[in-house]
Order: sequence, then C-alpha cells, then structure tokens
Amino acid sequence: MSIARVNRLSPYMFMAPAMVIMAIALLYPLGYMIWGSFRDWNPSQSIGEAEFVGLKNYITLWNDPNFRESIGVTLRFAFFVVSIEMVLGVGLALLLDRDIRGMSVLRTMFILPMMIAPVVVGLMWRYMYHPTIGTFNRFLESIGLPKVDWLGDYALTSIIIADIWQWTPFIFILSLAALQSLPRSALEAARIDGATPWQQIWHIKLPLMMPVLIVTGLLRLIDAFKVLEVILVMTNGGPGLSTEILALRISRTATEFRELGVAAAMSNYLLILLLLLTVAMFAFTRIQEARAARVRAAAEEAS
Amino acid sequence: MQNQRANPAFFAVIALLVFMSVGPVLLMFANSFKLDVDIISGTSGLLFLPTIQNYETALCDVLWYEPEHLDFCSLKFGGAFINSIIIALVSTVLTLVIGSMAAYALVRFRFMGRDTVSITTLMVRMVPPAVLLVPVFGLWNNEFCLDKDGLIGGAIRDSFGGRGDVCLAGTHSGIILIYVAMNLPFVIWILQSFIVQVPRSLEEAARVDGAGPFQVFFKVVLPLIKPGLAAAAIFTFRIAWNEYLLASALSDRNTKTVPILIVNNMSEFNVEWGVIMATGMLLAIPPIIFTLLASRQIITGMTAGAVKG
Amino acid sequence: MLKTLKTGVAATLLMTGAAYADGHGGPYAEYAGTTLVVNFPAHPHYNAAMKVLPEFTKETGIEVEVDQLPYLKMRERQTLELAQDEGEYDLISYVVFSKADYVFADQLENLAKYFMNPKLADPNYDAEDLIDGYVQNIGVAGGAKGYLPGPTGSLFGIPFGSETSVLAYRKDIFEKHGIAEPETYDQLLDAACKIPELEPGMGGMASRAASGHQASHAFLLHLAPLGGRVFDDAWNPIINNDAGVQAANALKTIVDCGPEGAMSFGPSEAANAFSNGDAAMFLDSIAFMPGFENPDRSQVVGKVGYAMHPKGVRRGSQTGGFGIAIPKNAENKEAAFLLMQWLTSKQGDLMVAMEGGNPSRFSTYQDAGLNEKYPFAATFGEALKYADPDWRPIIPVWGKINADIGTTMSKVLTEDLDIQEALDGVAERTRAVMEEAGYYTWQ
Repeated sequence: MSIARVNRLSPYMFMAPAMVIMAIALLYPLGYMIWGSFRDWNPSQSIGEAEFVGLKNYITLWNDPNFRESIGVTLRFAFFVVSIEMVLGVGLALLLDRDIRGMSVLRTMFILPMMIAPVVVGLMWRYMYHPTIGTFNRFLESIGLPKVDWLGDYALTSIIIADIWQWTPFIFILSLAALQSLPRSALEAARIDGATPWQQIWHIKLPLMMPVLIVTGLLRLIDAFKVLEVILVMTNGGPGLSTEILALRISRTATEFRELGVAAAMSNYLLILLLLLTVAMFAFTRIQEARAARVRAAAEEAS
Repeated sequence: MQNQRANPAFFAVIALLVFMSVGPVLLMFANSFKLDVDIISGTSGLLFLPTIQNYETALCDVLWYEPEHLDFCSLKFGGAFINSIIIALVSTVLTLVIGSMAAYALVRFRFMGRDTVSITTLMVRMVPPAVLLVPVFGLWNNEFCLDKDGLIGGAIRDSFGGRGDVCLAGTHSGIILIYVAMNLPFVIWILQSFIVQVPRSLEEAARVDGAGPFQVFFKVVLPLIKPGLAAAAIFTFRIAWNEYLLASALSDRNTKTVPILIVNNMSEFNVEWGVIMATGMLLAIPPIIFTLLASRQIITGMTAGAVKG
Repeated sequence: MLKTLKTGVAATLLMTGAAYADGHGGPYAEYAGTTLVVNFPAHPHYNAAMKVLPEFTKETGIEVEVDQLPYLKMRERQTLELAQDEGEYDLISYVVFSKADYVFADQLENLAKYFMNPKLADPNYDAEDLIDGYVQNIGVAGGAKGYLPGPTGSLFGIPFGSETSVLAYRKDIFEKHGIAEPETYDQLLDAACKIPELEPGMGGMASRAASGHQASHAFLLHLAPLGGRVFDDAWNPIINNDAGVQAANALKTIVDCGPEGAMSFGPSEAANAFSNGDAAMFLDSIAFMPGFENPDRSQVVGKVGYAMHPKGVRRGSQTGGFGIAIPKNAENKEAAFLLMQWLTSKQGDLMVAMEGGNPSRFSTYQDAGLNEKYPFAATFGEALKYADPDWRPIIPVWGKINADIGTTMSKVLTEDLDIQEALDGVAERTRAVMEEAGYYTWQ
C-alpha cells in the first residue's frame, strides 16, 4: 500500500522542488514588484514602510521625456540588432551550407563570442573603440583617415556593432541546423527542375526554414531587451541618453537614484512591452507556419 | 554549385569571419601581457616584451609571493574567482538535478501539455534580469531573513560570525537561488526533448526488478540523457558565471563575483587597461575551455532550444 | 632622502606608541586585536592611505580590513549598508555630497562625544591645524542652508582627501606659442581653442564630460567662478540665468576644442589624455596632479605648470573630496575613532601626503619635505584659500538634480540642444523636485 502511495505521489515529488523554487524566486518577486510599483519606496525602507501612492509612479513615467527617450533607444537597438543579425546570420548560413572539412572547428570559433561574459565583451570593445589608444582609431590613423569618436558621436551604432559581433553566430548556427534538416527531396526536385540557386533560396529554402527563423528571431528579440552589461561597461548609457536602454535605466533608477517604486513601475512597462511584442510575434508565427506548411506540401507533391 | 568549393573568395570569407570572431579575443589576450605604457603608447602589433605583471596584480591575494611592483594588494581577484566558481558550480548542479526531475515528471506523468511548458519557458525567458533587480533586491535584503535572535538565525551568527539579521542578500545561497530559478525553465525545456527519447521499456524493466521511482530516475533515466545534461550544464554555467547585475545587487564584499570586480575596476581614476584585460581573460578562460571541449553539446543545446521547441 | 624622511616619521610615531604602551597600557591597548572593516574609494588619496595603514596596525595592534570600491559604487553600497540595523563597516569614507543624505537619515555618529572622551581624544590632535573650510564643507552638517558653516552645525566627519581644482597646463607648449598662463576664463577659453590650431593633433583642454555625474561636475566647476549658483537664497533654481548659460557655453567650447573623444571622458580618461600629451590643459581636482609627475604613467613629467583655477567674475575653485565618518550601525565605533584620529593627525596626514595623497592640514602644506617632493604643493595651498564651499548644494535631493543636470549637459554637448532651453528645463524639473521635498514650505 505504501509503495502504491509513493508511486502516486512521486510525480508531485519530482515536480515539487522546481515548483517551490520558481514560486519563491520568480513568481513571488514579480508579484512583489507589481505591489512595490504603487509605492514611494527607497532602498533603506522595507516595502511595508513605503507610502502607497497609487498610480503616481506610472503617471510620472508616462510623462517623463527621458523615460520615453529610453524606450525609443531600446526599441531602436532591438530592431536594428535583430534585423541586421538575422540578415547576416541567415545569409552566412546559406553561403556556408556545404560540406567542407573542418566545419566543426569553424563553428567552435564562431560560438566563442557568445560564450564570453558580456562584461568582458564590453571591455574588449570599449578598448577597441577608445578614441586614442583603440584599435579602430589606430587603424584609421595608420591609413591616413580621420579618427572617429565611436562612443561619442556614434555611440548607439557602436554598441549595435558590438552586439552584432557577439550574437550573429547564434542565428548563423541555428539557421545552419535548420538548413541541414530540410527535406533533401524538395531541394533535389527543385534542382532537377532547373531552379537557379537564387530561386532555390527564395522559394524553397527560406519558406521552409521560416518556422525556425521566427523562433530564433523571437529569442534574439527577447534577449535584445536583456542586454545591459555590454552597454554598462562601454558607455554607461551616455552620451546624454543616447544608449540608455530600459534595462540600464531601471538599474540606474534603483541603485543610483534610489527610487525602487519608480524602477518597479518601469520594469512593469518593460514587461508589458515585451509581452505585446511576443504575442505579436506568435500571431505572426501561426500565419507563417500555415504558409510554410502549404509550401512544404506543394514541394513534396511536386517531387 | 559544387565547383564553388574551390573558389578562393569563399575561403577569404571564411578567413575573414574567423578573424572577426576570434580577433578581439586574441587582442585582449595579447594586451593582457602588455604593460600599460605599451598599450597607451601604441607600440603596435606583436612587438612587445610580454610580462605577467598584470596577472600578478590581479591575483595578488592568492599568490604565494608578493609581486615587487605592488605596494599593496587591492584587487583580491582570487577571492572573487573562488566565489564565482562556488556560485556557478553549485547553481549548475542544483539546476540540473531539480530541472531534470521536473522534466521527467512533465514527460512521464503528463502534468501539463508541452505547449503549456513551452509557453511558460518562453514567458520566464522573457523576463530580463533588470526586471528582477528591484524585487529581488528588496526581498533578499528585507523579507527573506532570519531574526538573529531566533533559533536558526542565532546559530548561523554564532558559527559564521557577521552582523545583523541573517538575510539571503550577501550570501552565496542568495545568488545561487536566483540563478537556479532563472535557469530552471530553460533546462526543463531542453531536457524534456531528451527524456522523450528514453525508451519506456527500460524503465519498466527496472521497475519489475523492484526499483522505486527515484531509483529508476537516477539509475536508468539520468545516465541515458547525459548529452542533454551536458548541453544544459554548459548553458546554466555560462549564465551563472557571466551574470553581473543581480550578483552586484545581492553580493557583499565577501561574496563578490568576478564580473562585479571587473566592472568595479573600470573605475574613474585609473583605467589600468593591462590589468583589466588580464582579469577579463581570466574570466573568459572557463567559457573558452568549454567551447573548445564541448562545442557539439553547445550547438545541441542551442538547437534543442529553438529548432525542436 | 625621502625614504629616510618617511621612516623618520614612522619612527617618531612608533616611539609615541611605545611610550603609551609602556606602563598604563595606552589608548590603543584596549582595542589591540580588533579588526576594523573600513570602506574606502578607489582613489589616489586612498591608495596612498592604503600604503600607510600597515603602520597603524604595527603601532596599535588594531587590524584594518579595507573594502575599496569606485566612489560612485561606494555610495550605492553605503546607502544599503547604513540602512541596516547592524552594519558591516566600522569606518566609511564618503563623497562630500553624501554628507546630506547620511546625516539627514541619521546614519552617522556625531563626533562630539568622541572628542569629549579623554580616553579616546588625543590632546595633541590640534584641530586648529585642520583646514577650516574643509572641516566645514565636508564634516559639518546642520549650519546655514543645512550644509554650509553656521552656528547650528555640528561635526559628523573629518576631511580626509580634500580636493580643490587647479589648472594643469603644458609649460612647454604655452611657451612655444607665447601663450600666457590663463588667469581668467576669457584667456582660458581663448587658449583652449587656439591650441588645436597651433598644435595639430593636440586638444585644448581635457575635461570630464561623460553623461551623468561627470558632465554635471564639469558644468558646476565653471558655474561658480562665472558667478552662477544652482539656487538663490530662497531655494529658487537660478541655474538658467546668464551665468548658467555662460558656464554651459564654456563647457561646450572646451569640449569642442578638446582632444579626440572628449564627449565621453570621465575623469580618468581626461587625466590620461593630458598625461599622454593629447591635451594642453587639464582643470580638475588636485587628486590627479601627482600622477602627472609619475614617470611610470605620464609622458609629461616636468613639463607641467600648475596655476590657480582661472577667475571669472570671482575666484571660485571647487571644494570636494572625501571625509571619513563612523556609521551609527558600526560595531567597533571607538576603535574606528582611533583610526580616524590617527589618519587625520599631523603625522598621519603628512605620511599620506608623502605617498601622493591630498592633505587636509595647514602644517602639511607647509612641510618642507612635501614641498620638495611635490613642487606644486604651494600652488595647491594657495588655491585652497579660494575654495568655494557653496559651488554645489549638498542637500538630500541633490543626487536627483545632479543626474538631471548631468544628462542635460551631456545632451547639450552631443546633440546641440539649445543651452537656454535645456537649462530652463533643468530649472523647471528642479523646482518640482524641491517643491516635493518641502523646500518651499516656508514661503
């Protein structure tokens, strides 16, 4: 009897640790944050001591031009980073999709950038962008071109480049995996029908890869909103607010200005923004998946 | 199309890509062996006298001798390195054990549909660490505390010293807890796809031999999903090893991790490039080793996350 | 010779210590074996202090464990530590503008009771010798406007690492082109933009400008000498008056004519630019100046002249730097006081100064040995006379206003925002902050 009970309880016992940990360290904090966002709360108070101010934090933020600028920077950063990385990553995957010896070595080298700590990536690029001792300006100088103030005049572009360096391989490797798992029959059929390489890519490979590409893009998009350390080390949000993405602003509001309530409200705005984007992407995926299924069916029929 | 294989342009592209992805790392490696004077004055390229002085400065608190060029040891990199190792290893092991158990339960006992799990995973993955900063900071410092006059709190204070109420903030456990929670959904997601492939008959055979559910899990299932565990381990370790923001909010002077030390060291008064590069290199070494040894598992983990999901 | 001087000082200290230890135990005996946990910034002055601390341990038997952080990080750490019931730190160093926060939140010990305690207070401490302006600016809170000297103030900290601004300039470059040492702001700005023309590749003046605290600091540095203030006497923001616009213009001119990448400079980048020879002038805290005479790090050793902060409508160099104080929630307050007293004593101050620190005592500035080692000490002593304690308001809400000024100035520098408009915006937002904090309650 006791064995039977153990067997009946065991699923719960297997789940329990994970559930408990996620409840106390993820769900409860998120609820706590929502609760805190209605309060005028500074780090030296416990939340109970903080005064309840209703929606004040949200309204202040809504009217705060700096906050809006920060959202703008975040969206611009995410948009450019994701779209450029997608184009480059998928392009490289299509280009390098062939059996060459040493491909695994190459892949190892490509994943190196994303394994390295963002903090270290930030400092490497900060060094390379340095106005006088940096690699780029040294190079420009040696070939007689004027120096560029990378982290001053072109700060946002510079951090976008650094992120592209770190994360394009991610998309490259996923696209490559997707490419190599495509049904060979469909590609064969297309080649026999005399489709040019471009037509193959455009009409067969890309549509078939689409579901994976969308998930990949979504993951990158979500991660683009998480980028913080690289920017913190490279520019700390400056000059002005030109690189102050939302994550960085939240952390500065909490630690530097000591307004936990406002930071919590900002966090909620960020979450809502992310949720909207995810839902939109999901809806888009469903439509694309339906289309991909049609293409696949058609391709298989043709073969 | 096949004849393009010999195309020199093709190899030029590959060479360029390799150069671009590895170049900055090599640059950092080279600079970590240069004196600041050499870095700043720009005696360019590889013509310099390598020195280990930067590494001596960084590691001064664990060296058995006192480096001659230092007046006092301010960096205490060794301590931070040990903290990083403890936190990353413990949180990786915990995440794997707890996560694989949960993944097993989800697959074998059909708690929720795979869709629910995928959506939950995606939702949790969506939460940026910066969003957790405020609540975790508040909870770990103020709520998740034991009264120092209480039974357990008092015992902890008596045996470990320190002052004030016993709170999660400032302890290794506090940082480990949040890392485990952050990584769990991802690990569960990846491991599910491996557990599905374990043939049921093996488990049933073990059960007939009289093994309980936990024995079946640890002795039969876990060994079979080793590749999945390896992939999940690398990803968990990477996040725990590299994370800065939450650790900086939760650690105190004794539990600082390496990323915190590096950010702190980019201080206002003296950017000592050589030393910073050396600390960066030391932080990057474990991930680089993993990449070289286990790139296949990393790629498995990445593709399992996106392609199969 | 300097080595002998240093050991000489140490020997005297040791002898005093030995004298105390002899017989009745001395003031330190009771605390020998205690470990003090102190929080210092990563800063040249405190690096110098780190070299001196072993002497303290040798003499008193009190161990010191130092937690060194970059100073903005240090402030974040402290706001957290000081709010606990029981804190880790026995002695903290604080940036002068933190004084308002900490005292207002009742987190620092009033020092009166320690100086009253005959067992702790050293009769030879000679507080008269401490530079009064700094004691008032860094240590005293509760006087006029809450942060300026006044009869209602009392002492919460002691200056340790006192800074003022001086102008470092390249004597060789100035002589080569026949430019005179800048006395006034007009001459300064003139020289700043002339040099890039005369010396291709060299910027005029290296200045902080990075977004946030650094840009705000750089702006305020020019505001005081040009006759401006952030607030008038009734706490109305007047940062957007003519003087404010002039100061912002001055900063913009300096950055525009400055070295490559000047817009993102923090103090270390600015100082590095000067010590690499990329800029001909550097106007900032004296804390950076000893570094220019260090052949290991600087390429301009011996070529640098030091002048007083140029005059606008008045002389007004910054007062800043750090003080040390005992947190209310500290464990070993009395031993912490002994360390504080030892570090700021005549001998302690001199020892730290000889290692490259910034003295807080008149006697140290007059010391022959110091003047020999650091020839610019005399200029610094002179500059101190004009240090303006009111160049930046030290009020509890300052952090927020400071950040706003910093972001706005950075935008002025990089995005060509209209200066008047930008400052009007700052004034308006500042007024709202002040209103909320209750500064207009009595009007």
